[in-house]
Amino acid sequence: MSAEHTASAPAGPLWRLALGRSLGRSRKFLWFLLINILPLYVASDLLVTSGALAKISGFLEPVMSLWGLPPEAAAVLLAGMLVNLYAATAVAAPLALSWQQVSVLGLILGIAHSLIMEAVVVRQLTRRYHALTLLRIVLGLGAGWLLALVLC
Amino acid sequence: MLPGAALKGLVLCAELALVVLPLIVGYEMAKAYGVFERPWKRLRPALAVIGLGPGGLVPLLAGVFLGLLYGAGILVSVSREEGLADSERLALAVFLVTCHAVVEDTALFVILGGSAFWILAPRLVMALGLTAWLARRGRRRL
Repeated sequence: MSAEHTASAPAGPLWRLALGRSLGRSRKFLWFLLINILPLYVASDLLVTSGALAKISGFLEPVMSLWGLPPEAAAVLLAGMLVNLYAATAVAAPLALSWQQVSVLGLILGIAHSLIMEAVVVRQLTRRYHALTLLRIVLGLGAGWLLALVLC
Repeated sequence: MLPGAALKGLVLCAELALVVLPLIVGYEMAKAYGVFERPWKRLRPALAVIGLGPGGLVPLLAGVFLGLLYGAGILVSVSREEGLADSERLALAVFLVTCHAVVEDTALFVILGGSAFWILAPRLVMALGLTAWLARRGRRRL
């Protein structure tokens, strides 16, 4: 195996290099939380407590009840599938969901999240990345439905 | 209303940071010491069941633990270097789209109160089942 995945510059012990990289990534991650996730949480919290999200999503109730979820959880699914799981977490947190509902969401979105970003990576492995993205959505929703039957 | 929401949001961010920051350090350490690149021989028979040769182990581990985006560097470059067959690349892709970044993804929903078992176990079972089924079907397409 080539060494490029491990240490690129021999500037000290491996753990120090790894720690340096971790610090850089951690700082970026903290900024990401403060700049993206915090405002998203605040927006979601305001939409939930004002009742606006319930009003907007009310018509989805028959669909979302398939997964034992309140209609507002559709926003969580959208955020997770189109953006990423951190966005989904920020939108889901103010909803006061039961552990069963969180587990169902976690299973659906664990399988089908960041669909656009990750399709770019999957494309490097296989030309059938469209089919695989569809597979993720179908598997995720299917598995979530089964889990809802088991838990709820 | 707004200050309350901001405060609760900060608490969520702190919880996420408490979980993810140690993971970042752990991942970087594991990567630096080549944990994902060790040719664990005992896993070979298990790899064969899901349609992967020995060369598929490193990209598989990178994807399962680091995730598609974070592990993409190892995933893509190693699968090129190892000259993985098309069927192996498909097996890898199918396994990983179903089941990747298992620690981080699961932890995020456990923070919200979800069950780690019910979030993770079905993904693993599906990833193994699908790839084993594909491998049995041989080289016929998805």
